[in-house]
Formats: sequence, C-alpha cells, structure tokens
Amino acid sequence: MLKLHNMYKVYSTDEVETVALNGVNLEIEQGDFVAIMGPSGCGKSTLLNIVGMLDNPSDGDYFFFDENIAKYNESQRSNIRKQNIGFIFQNFNLIDELSVAENIELALLYHDMPSAERKKRVASVMDRIGIAHRSNHMPGQLSGGQQQRVAVARAVVGDQPLILADEPTGNLDSVHGQEVMELLRSLNKEGTTIVMVTHSPAHADYAHRIVNLFDGHIVTENTRAA
Amino acid sequence: MLWNNIIIALRNLRKNKVFAVINISGLALGLTIYVFGGLLIEYEESHDGFFENASRIYTIGATAAPDLNVGVDKLNSVFPAVGPIVEAELQDLEAVARTIGTEFLLSTGEESFYERISFADPAFLQIFDFNYIQGDISAIEDPSGLLITESMAIKYFGKTDVLGEVFTFDNEFDFSVTAVIEDVPLNSHLTSSVIGGAGLDFVVPLAGLNRMRDWDLAGNWNNLSIGNMTYVLLPETLDSAWLQTQMDGIFERMVPEEQRGVIADFLVNPLTYANLAMWDMMGLPIASVVALLSLMVLVVACVNYANLATAQSLGRSREVGMRKTMGASRNQLLTQFLIESLVIATVAMVFAIAILEILIPLFNNFAGKSMTLDYATTLPWLLSTTAIVGVFAGLYPAWLITRTNPIEALRDIARKGKKGSLMRSIMIGTQFAISAFMLALVSIVYMQNESVKEGSYIFPRSEIYTIDRLQVEGISDRLDTLRHELEALPSVDSVAYSSQVPYEQNNSSMGVALQPGDEAGEFILMNLRMSPEFLDTYDIPLLAGRNLSPDINNDIASEESETVNVLVNELALAQLGVEKPIDALNKRFYTLNGEERNYEFIVVGVVPTQNIVGLFNKEKAWIYQYSPDSLRIGSIRITGGNILDTVTAIEDVWNRVIPEYPIQGRFLDEVFDDIYNVLRYMNMALAGFAFVALSLALIGLFGLAAFMAAQRTKEIGVRKVLGASSTQIARLLVWQFSTPVLWALLIALPAAFFGSSLYLDFFADRLESPVPILIVSGIIAVLLAWTTIAGHAIRIARSNPIRALRYE
Repeated sequence: MLKLHNMYKVYSTDEVETVALNGVNLEIEQGDFVAIMGPSGCGKSTLLNIVGMLDNPSDGDYFFFDENIAKYNESQRSNIRKQNIGFIFQNFNLIDELSVAENIELALLYHDMPSAERKKRVASVMDRIGIAHRSNHMPGQLSGGQQQRVAVARAVVGDQPLILADEPTGNLDSVHGQEVMELLRSLNKEGTTIVMVTHSPAHADYAHRIVNLFDGHIVTENTRAA
Repeated sequence: MLWNNIIIALRNLRKNKVFAVINISGLALGLTIYVFGGLLIEYEESHDGFFENASRIYTIGATAAPDLNVGVDKLNSVFPAVGPIVEAELQDLEAVARTIGTEFLLSTGEESFYERISFADPAFLQIFDFNYIQGDISAIEDPSGLLITESMAIKYFGKTDVLGEVFTFDNEFDFSVTAVIEDVPLNSHLTSSVIGGAGLDFVVPLAGLNRMRDWDLAGNWNNLSIGNMTYVLLPETLDSAWLQTQMDGIFERMVPEEQRGVIADFLVNPLTYANLAMWDMMGLPIASVVALLSLMVLVVACVNYANLATAQSLGRSREVGMRKTMGASRNQLLTQFLIESLVIATVAMVFAIAILEILIPLFNNFAGKSMTLDYATTLPWLLSTTAIVGVFAGLYPAWLITRTNPIEALRDIARKGKKGSLMRSIMIGTQFAISAFMLALVSIVYMQNESVKEGSYIFPRSEIYTIDRLQVEGISDRLDTLRHELEALPSVDSVAYSSQVPYEQNNSSMGVALQPGDEAGEFILMNLRMSPEFLDTYDIPLLAGRNLSPDINNDIASEESETVNVLVNELALAQLGVEKPIDALNKRFYTLNGEERNYEFIVVGVVPTQNIVGLFNKEKAWIYQYSPDSLRIGSIRITGGNILDTVTAIEDVWNRVIPEYPIQGRFLDEVFDDIYNVLRYMNMALAGFAFVALSLALIGLFGLAAFMAAQRTKEIGVRKVLGASSTQIARLLVWQFSTPVLWALLIALPAAFFGSSLYLDFFADRLESPVPILIVSGIIAVLLAWTTIAGHAIRIARSNPIRALRYE
C-alpha cells in the first residue's frame, strides 16, 4: 500500500538542525495493523505526519499505491489524503462548536457528496461505532472515550482505506482505552489498514507489527501472527 | 457546506459572547454612521428632484470679484436686474423668474403675524409644478394675487377653501388668495433646512413689491442677497453648456462696469445643486466632509473587527488544522471564514438599520428634514455595503488563519507565534491615526469657535435687546417717542437705532475716493447708519473728535444732503492717508458715481476698529453716519434689574407707542447665535464622528489587550518567577501597544493640521497656531489608549506567577 524509501526529515532553525527521521525504510501492506513505538522525540509523530501527507520529507521517496508523492505540494497531497486517509488524534481534535453528527459529517464535507448521502453515511457509521444516541450532543458533553469514538467515526466515515492514529488512547483511562483498541481491531478486521503511534505496550499488542523507532532510525521490527 | 459554515459562525458567536458583542456592536455602530451619512448626503443632494422640470431648471449665480471680501468665493444669486436682461436677450428660454424674499406683517382681521414672503415673477409658477389644491399657475399674474400653502391656509383660516380671502400687508396693502398649494416637501431648496431663512409659505407677484415698496420691476444692480434667486427653464433641446455660453456673452455685453468689482462672471448651476450651493460656495463642502468622515468611521469599525477577529481566530487554529487534515482546501476555508464575517456584517447591518429607524425620525424632528430609509431604493446599496464590509473586515483574519499548515495548526503553534503581529500593529495604528486625526480636528475647530466667541464679547451682547423692522413707515416716524419712553424705564440705559447690529451678516459698502470722481483712487468703506446713541449703547469710545449730533445740520445724512459729517474707524485712517486719529479730523472724501446717493463726507470723529460683522469676517474699514431714514433695528442697553421684567416693560412700551405692529424683539446674544450655532453644530457633528471613531478604537484595543495578555500569560509567569516586578510587567504590556499608537500620531497630527486649515481658512481671525492643540490632542489619545490597556496589564501583572504558568 505504501512504501517509504531512505526517508529523511530535518527541522532547521537559525542555529540548530534536528534530524527527526534518518534514512527510514518502511513498507506497509493493505490490511496491516502497525504500531509505532519509541521514546519521546524519536520521530514517531514526524513519521506519522509524513505517512499522513501532512508534511513532506526532506529527502527520500514515498510511494503511495505506487505513486511517488514525496515532492507533491499541499493541494496535491490534500487531494490524495482526503480520499485515502482518516486521522485519529490523542486529543481528539473535535470541533467544539459542532455536534457529534456534524463533526463526523465534516470529514465528508470536502468530498463533493450530496447532503442526503452524507447524512446516510454519518448515521450508519454512528450505528457501527455505537454513538448514535449521542448524535446531537456537543463534544463538551461527552466523556473522553466517547469523544475518541466520535473521532474514530470521523476517521472512517469516508471509507478511507488507511487510518493513522497518533496515541489514540493517550488521553483515556484503561477501560476507555481498551474500548477504542477493540474498535480499531474490528475496523482492521473489516479491511482497514491501521498505523498507530503508541506508548502502551499493551495496546501495541493489538497490532500485527510493531516498529520501534530510536533517534530517527527503525531499530527493530516485530511481526506477530494475525 | 454553506449551511454548515453559517451554523459554525452562529455557534462561534454564541460561544464567545464578549467578542460577539464587541464585534457586532462596533460594526453596527460603524455601519449606522456610514449609512446615516450616506442617506444624509443622498437626501441633501437629491433636493428638488421631484419637480417635473428639475432637469431643465437652472439657477444663475456668480463668482465673487476677487476683492469683494464678503467671505464667499461664489454666489448662487445675482442682482435682480439680471433676470429681465436674460429674458430679453435669450428668446429660446421657456421661462425666467426671479424671487425676492422679505418679511411683512400679515393680517387677516384678528390674526396678524410677521411672515417671510417670496415675491416672484409670474413665470415662477410655470417653472415649478406645485400641487394646487385651489387655483392654478395663473395665480400670481394678478398683481394683487397671493398664493399660499395649505398649512398657512389652515393657520389663518382653519381650512384650505380660502380663495378670495384677503391678507393685509403691513396694515396697508391688500392681497387676495388666488391659489392654495400643498406644502412644498422639505427636500427642496425652497424649504431646505440647510439654507438659512428658506421657506415657501406665501408667493406674491413682484408687482406687489413694486406697489408696496416702489421696487423697480426691471430690478437693480445694488442688492445682491443670498436667497434671492434667478431661475431659468430651458427647453428640452438646450443644455447648461449652451446657457453658460450665453450668460458669458451677456456678462460681457450687459453688466455695468462698476458691478464687475462685485461679480466676476455668471455661473449656471443645475437646480439640484441649489440646496448645497451655499455651503460649497463658503468653501465648506459639507457633503464631501460628511462622506469622508462617515467612511473613516466605517473603516475604523472594519479594522476593529478585523483586528479582534484575527486575535480570536488564532484560537481556532485546531479547527482549521482538522479541516485541512480532512482535505479542506485553503479556498474552502477562506470561504468559510469570509462567510462568518459576512454573517456578522449582516447581523450588524440589521442592528444598524434598527438604530437608524429610531434615529432618523428623531433627527428629522431636530433638524427639520424629511429623510427616509426607503428600502426599495436603498436595498442594493445596503446589501453591497454589507458584502463589502464583510469581505473587507474578514479577509485578513481569514487569510491569516488559513495560512498555517495543518500540523502547526493542530499543535496550535499559530496561537503562540508572532504571526500577524505586524499586521495587528498596523491595524491598531490605522484606527488610532483616524481617531486621533478626528480628535485633533474637533479640538482645533472647538478652539477656533471659542476664539470667535471670545472675540464677540467686545460688544455687551447679553445686555442688549434688539427690536427689528423699524424702517416700516408706520413705525419709523415714532422712533423718537419710542426711545424717550424706553429710556424712561429704570433698567434701560440707552437706546440706539442703526441699519444693522453687530454679528448680522450684512455687507453694506460704498466706493469712495479722496477726490471727487477719482475712479482710480477708489476704495471701499463699510457703511453703518446709526443714531448718535449707538456709541454709548455699545461702549464705543472716541479716539479723536466728537460724536454725531442731531442738532448739527451736516451730521444728518438725508437724500437732500450734499455734505455729510461722519465717524470713521481706525482701520479707515490708512485709506484716508493719515496715521493718527487726530489727523483724520476734517478729512474729506467723496462717493463715486454708481452709488445711490452722492455725498461729500467730512470726518468729525474717529472710533477704534471693532469687528462689527464679526464671526468669520475680517475687520474692515467702516464709516458711521447718522442717517435717520435708514434705521432698521434698535438696540436697547439693559443694565441691572430683572431682565424678564425689563423685557416685559419694553414690550408694554412698544405696544403703547406702536399698537399696530407686534414687537420683533430678541437679545443680541440670539443674533450672534444665529450664525454661531451653525459653527457649533458643525463642531458637534464632528465631535460625534470623533467620539464614535475613538470609542471603537478603544473598544478594539481593550479586546485586543485582553487577548494578547492571555497569550503572554506563560511568558509573564516566567518573567515573574525570574524576579520582574508587577510594574515592569505592566509597563511591558502597555508598551506593546504604544508603538503603533505613537506611529499613528505621527501620521494623524500633520493630517489634522492640514485638514483643519480647510476650516480655519474660513475665518479672518484664525488661531495663532494649532500646534499646541494638536499636541494636547495627541497626548489625550495616548493617555486614553494607555488607560484602556492598563486595566488588563495591571491585573495580569499582579496575578500569582504559578497560576500564570499553569495556564499552559
């Protein structure tokens, strides 16, 4: 599905150069569930941002479905991104002024989809994720776990084949964290590819593959039987 | 998508109520002023458009000759002699008519009132299509006919069915009603509130003026009064350029040589210009000034909105990041934010319209206007204004907030960075430049007005009660009796009669020379006719010689006089070729041909130079002559006693001596206020604009200071932990906003210096230097800004540093 080849990412300021990714090679197949682990500052989020096309690499190739998009500009990346990638964040990033249903619908707004079709999809995904009864609530009225469920719903409502989750359980207690992981697992079983950054070894165990990152290098890769 | 955007906009407003209130009220205030200004200009500039022939009616005016020195460069009126000449010379015109306005005492049996009468050539009714309730356009072809308005018919008779009813003018001359018309709408120059003394209640043929005052129907070349109009109705086939060319020819051929020192040419103006002509001609283009000021206020309101919205939108960077992550293009986000500002602009416009619906009737009532907010015609303008304001105010914040890349936006980096801080400073600077400019302008205008007022106290104006219309035949022969009776009142000091009193804007002058017939040596002297008591009544001392006396034959100027003794003021000495007052005594000078009467004048006394016409006029050289048949107005000097009782006593005396005519009395203060109030109202209007602009700027600064202080909470916490004192922190926050405010002053104050010259140039006696006033206004603006910010700064500076650090 995607392949990173010899990928570098360097952040420069006037005085300091920080190498966040240092020649990373990574291949992810369709249907994979990959956990990325490593200490703070090892480059996990940078890697996820580049995979998610929110950022460009400083050097190296990024093949997404065999298309090298490493040098694409923001609007080209944006077009591929909205068709293919859903995002889940540690802090949910729900929009406080929109209701649950409207937050989910947001992911479809930029897809040229008629309103009726959007409403249908939103209703169906809320059923699937188990938050239909909260559809008119505002994010502030939900618990953290519920908010993250909404964020998951938002990530999958567009039927994107790839979900990138940046510490999706980081702000949740263990019970709610577990719930979200179960949700991700079931999505993966339905065929969605998942790449997840996590600090939790227990949650990393949900993945088929664990990639350990240190100082911008991939140091170990463990593959588990699905 | 659109609906989603509007919902977000409305929910954002609800969430940030303080910002919403500040944003919407600021914008609503700006829009109110702007729309009001626009409606006012539209109203004043569209006067007379309702007359069927409006586009074919022109007025004849003139450019004042360069050394005429009457405070205006142009006039929208000409000598009454011009009308008949135009009619005789230009056969192609459809109609020519003159109007002369003057006051008469009108009586119908019981009722009698002084009324302003419009005397007109019969063609006047051909030119203007009034709505006739009774009678028709032939109404004033009858020399004793009289056209009246509906409200006058009701005032005198309680009904409109009044054809044939008789009005007696000055207790002597009868005119009978030949037509009743509907009242002329207020948006006509004939009734305009911006033309002093306008009003069209009674129209009488000029033949009637000829009958009563022996007024020459062929007109004269002596009297040039603002308000006495000459109208021309052109046929469809001819235009104003043609008329102007013809008038240029007539000027060359027909205007007597001596009048060319008064008018330099003829000017053809469209009828629709008549309403504002006087202001333009005084060099006060009131419509442009209102347009400029209201636009400035709107700009301040928009910048205010943009500034607050920018600060506020940075708090929404996560939302922007999320939308970008999900594939929103920058254009889609720009659209979203612009829709938000359009929603706010629309809400603000709705409020503005609501305010205007209340304000306009109040204003109409106060100012004697009939402005309306006619949605049918103004809707496109209102909508486009809303759209432009929405886009103009929203574009920068939208551009700024959508500029960040999604990762930065999600991490809220935009909020912490310095993004847009230069632009924010520029915006604060713009607001303050405009506000300080207006504040400085208001202060200069105010100080100039004050200095005019100060100068007016050379005459004891609150102690003088004036009585007008003394030249009427039934009154003028009883003036001596009246004076004796009035002087017998215990609190009346003295009584004088004159052709004018101080502050009246009459410029009666004559051309004289030191040798008879010496046209080349001509100089102009202003001419005051008075009774000898005038000097006492007005505390005017003699610098040399003696006062005039009724007992000395040559002191009295009359039609038969050949040699007349006069007083002159000091300013006339130079023209008489002498330096010291004493040397002027027995100096002789002579009227030149072209004046109504020819005299030899001998100087018998010299008085100090006093600015009799006052206000914005230059001090001029005057002669004072005792001319008992030209005394129009009396001045009664009251000292001591109860003023109201004295006025009642004066009225009693009048009613006893001259029972046939009601008294026309008022204090000299009111004469002064007649003109001074125009200046005062101008300053009040300007102050209103300045107040709104400054308030908006301060509200914006207040909101922004709150936001920026919150932004810097962590920094402030760290600084405090490191040992900064509260004062140092407060100073830091205050300085953050001071730089743009100080830059703004560097632009605003020089601009105000030049802007104020437009007003100051209008006055002969100007403020010595507006610079100190500018500096004080600048200091006031800065202090206001500091006070606004200081509240936040001190509160934050005093807070516990740990709390400040936990904020993050």
